[in-house]
Parts: sequence; structure tokens; C-alpha cells
Amino acid sequence: MKIRDKILVVEDEKSICHFISSTLSNNGYDPMEAHSGKEALSMISSYCPDVVILDLGLPDMDGLEILRELRSWSNLPVVVVSARTHERDKVEALDLGADDYLTKPFGTDELLARVRTAIRHTRTTSEHSEIARLGTYTVGDLVIDYNKHQVLLNGENVHLTVNEFRIVALLGKYSGKVLTYAYIMKELWGPRADSDNQILRVNMANIRRKIEKNPAEPQYIFTEAGVGYRMAEGE
Amino acid sequence: MKKFFAKFLPFNFQDFWLSSAILAGATVTCAILRHADSEGEFVSLIFVLAVMLISRLTTGYLFGTAASLVAVICVNYVFTYPYFAINFTIAGYPLTFIVMLLVSIMTSAMTTQIKQQEHLRAETEKEKARADLLRSVSHDIRTPLTSIIGATSTLLESGDYLSHDQKVRLLEDTRSEAQWLIRVVENLLSVTRMGDSQTYIDKKNEPAEEIVGEALQKFRKRFKTIPVSVSVPDELLMVPMDAILIEQVLANLMENAVSHGQTTTHIWLTLSSDGTDGIFSVRDNGSGIPPAQIPQLFSGISHSSDNRTVDGKRNMGLGLTVCKAIVQAHGGTITAYNLPQGGAEFIFRLPLSHTQPNSKEVSR
Repeated sequence: MKIRDKILVVEDEKSICHFISSTLSNNGYDPMEAHSGKEALSMISSYCPDVVILDLGLPDMDGLEILRELRSWSNLPVVVVSARTHERDKVEALDLGADDYLTKPFGTDELLARVRTAIRHTRTTSEHSEIARLGTYTVGDLVIDYNKHQVLLNGENVHLTVNEFRIVALLGKYSGKVLTYAYIMKELWGPRADSDNQILRVNMANIRRKIEKNPAEPQYIFTEAGVGYRMAEGE
Repeated sequence: MKKFFAKFLPFNFQDFWLSSAILAGATVTCAILRHADSEGEFVSLIFVLAVMLISRLTTGYLFGTAASLVAVICVNYVFTYPYFAINFTIAGYPLTFIVMLLVSIMTSAMTTQIKQQEHLRAETEKEKARADLLRSVSHDIRTPLTSIIGATSTLLESGDYLSHDQKVRLLEDTRSEAQWLIRVVENLLSVTRMGDSQTYIDKKNEPAEEIVGEALQKFRKRFKTIPVSVSVPDELLMVPMDAILIEQVLANLMENAVSHGQTTTHIWLTLSSDGTDGIFSVRDNGSGIPPAQIPQLFSGISHSSDNRTVDGKRNMGLGLTVCKAIVQAHGGTITAYNLPQGGAEFIFRLPLSHTQPNSKEVSR
């Protein structure tokens, strides 16, 4: 029998729990349900799921609390689900270590894509990923060559500046995942980086002019307004 | 107590300087007129006028009352014999004093009352706008809910008798109605995000093309069949805005182009700038806006109530009202018109900041 990935769904709303669980089991995952924060924490430590889908609005505790506690001892991927639409909440959850974020309402496609990305990122810890094997990341006609520090579009070097390359390289490393502005700023410009992210935004505009056909119709790097950027996933 | 002072005796420097200026003006006028007529009968009258002006133009009772005191002393000290001496025993003097005080208090009272009435009227209008919005929302929510409940009940109760196609159609309807409800809720969230004042918005310099791009991406997820041509300037255009709200405006305009354009098969989304404003345009090739609706397009009045047969549910009101509120809160303008070749165009302009995009070094 095939071993299936265990996914813990932490959600107090029964109807949503039901729909997520049935979608997951129809797509080859093994879902478990927890309806409160306490239950979730004890299930995580006893069953060690492969992914946690965590609703932020739980009756007994704030989902962010669970995330904080979990991150103190585990790196297991967490996809946060919430009805809070303010981008501050997303940024907070992501900066606390959530791997991804889904805003209610979301479609099944979106849910499955996020779960796949989350699992892939834990599986492919360095050795197995394309980046580690070949030193490149490929998506569509775009190739990031980590050894030569180049980005190729249809086989041609697009001549990014050092910072532009570092931004693209970082997003490529975490493709499919949204990286917050603050995270990218910190990675590139260090912990004392300006809290103003204008440099990043301007660099991104320049990158898009080099790699996208139309900067307003990006195929490779997407914007999450008020939150950050996300690199498209390769095949 | 503090409240009492704030209401009746509010002190502000603008009023203080205004009062001083008026009193000084009155004094100078009297001094000049006295050369022509040394009798000085007019002095009291001019000061009464000054006191009245001050009471009318300042807030509360403080300055009017203070001015009448100053005026009385001034008249007595400067313009009444014996000059430059206080003498309250002059015949009729107490009367002058009382008249001035009364004039000042009565004018202040009247002014305050008028201001309160204006405030009240503004409140009432706000209240009315809120009620209109609620009415429009309830209308927008009730219809799709009816359809969702109807479709799901049919599926549950007589699902066995329905063909596969019929079931799929009912489910598709349910999904699209639910998506419509999401739009309503998102518009409401935008309203709460703007808060009551509708004047203060947390604006940040955003690359406008990113926001256009994201709105477009979301639109494409929902309306896969309608092609959108998008064009943005070659130069990066930074526009100060609340990105989430402007994305909502673009989403509303594009979705309206589909749901109200009826025959829309193509949408053009254009971003440009004239140096002072960022200009966003959403154009379609649909059936256009019914001319009768253009004057009150953004007013939030439910058009369907005038014209039930045309479109019972797809109320244009809320989406466009929210668009207008958002754009105005940004200090911008929004306009709509029909194109000669058919279709409609909605344009909104957002002022660019004086501090140009990035004076900072881009590559460190």
C-alpha cells in the first residue's frame, strides 16, 4: 500500500474542515482533523504530520500562538488559512514562520497547490532539488544559473545587476512560496535594512522589465499586494 | 467641565488674532472719523458692529464676550471725555455696556446654533448614506442567497430525478452566486478599511504596474474566457496609494465591465501618467452604460429599483459607490462615459506625490 502524506487540518468550522478533508483525501493525502488549538498541539506531537493546515481563528487560542509554539521546536510546514484579509495579518503569520498563506474563501486548486509546495520544500532539502543537483532553477523559458550568477531567458543572459540577481535567486530558491518584503530586505541588505522597501520595489520593477514580456502581466514573479513576492513554480 | 470649556469657550489663536484685528480696525476707524466729527456719537455704534462681527466669525462665546468688554473699556478710555481715563459715571454709559454685551452674547448664540444645525445636517446626510448602503447591500445579498438555497434544496430533495447536466448547472449557479457574495463582502471590507472619516488613508508609494498586474491576475482566475489587454508605461510609475483598496477599485471596474457590459468580449486596462496624476483606465466593448444612469452612476442609488425588469439583481450601486469613495479618499477623481464605437470607459486618476518615486540610490 502506498504511504500517503499525513496532513493535519486545524479548523473549528465543521463545514470547512469537511470540505478540506475530502479534497485532500480525494487527492491522495491522508487528512486528520483537529477542532481546537489544544487538540492541534497534542496531535502534532503525537502524529507528526507532514503538513499542518492551520486556521487562525480558533475558539480556544489564537492560531498565531500555535504557530509560535510549534516553531520553537519544529520546522514542519504550516499553511495558514484565515478569513482575516488585512495584509498585516498575512505578513505577521509569514514572519512568524508560516510557509504559506491562504485567505478564505479559497478554491481547491489553490489549496492543493499550496500543500504541494509546502511538502516539496521539506522533501527537497538541498540534495535533491534541481538547484542542488544542477545549480539551476528552471521555470518556463527562465533559467536561474546559481553557479554562474546569471539569469537566462530563452537561453540568453538578461544581464541583471548584482542585487537584481540576488532577489531573483532568493525567490527561485523558495519558488511557489510568498516571501515578505521584510524577509527579502533582511536577506539582501542585512538586519539593519531600511524598513522602507522602496529599493526592493524599484529593483523588482527593473527585473520585470528584463524578464517579463509585460511587467503588468508577470509570468515568473507575482506580487502579493502589501505582502511580498512569489516566484512561479517550475515543472 | 473640560467639555464645557471646549464647547463654549474654545480658545484658538486664529480666532484670537481675528478678534484683535477687528478691534484694532474699529479703533483706527474711530480715530480717523474723529477728525471729521469730534462729537463721537458714532464710536459706540462702530464698536457694536465690531463686537457683532467678532461674535459671528469666531467659535463659541469666549471672543465675543471678551471683545465686548474690551470695546466698552476702549470706548470709555480712548474715545469718551475725559480721554485716556476710565470714567464709568458718564450718563448712559452702563446702557452702552449692557447693549454691547447683549449683542455679543446673542450673536454668539445664534452663530453657535447655526453651526450646530449644519453639523446636524451633515450627520443626517451621513446617516442617510449609510442607510442607502445597507439597503443596497441587503438587496445584493438576499438575491444570490435565495438562489443558493433554492439550488441546493433542489439538489438535495430531488437530486435523483435530475440529469447530470442539470445538477452541474445548479452547482455552477451556486458557485457563481457565492462568488458574487464574496465581492459584496470585499466591498464592505473596503468601506470599513477606509473608516468613518473617509479622508485619512494609509498611503504608500506603490509601483502602480504591480497593483494593475495583481488585479488582472485575480480577474483572470475568475473570468477565464474574457481577454484583457493591459498596457503600462515603460517608465516605472510610483503612485501613493493603499494598494489593497486600489486593487479593489480595479477589480470592481473590470468585473462590472463583464457583468454590466453584457456583450463585453474584450477589456483594455491602461495605466498612464500626465505628470501630476496616475491615470487608470478600464475600457470594454460591451453594451455601454444606459444614458439615463450616467448622472447618478456613482451615487449608490439602487438602479434596479427604478428599472426592475432590466436587472433585478446585478445592482451596479455598491461596487461603483465604493470605487468612488476609495478614489476620493485618495484625493483623486473617477469618471465614466460611453465610447462612440460602443462600450464604456471608466477612468480614475490618483495624484502623484511631490516627492518623486525614488531619490534613493537603487543599487547599493
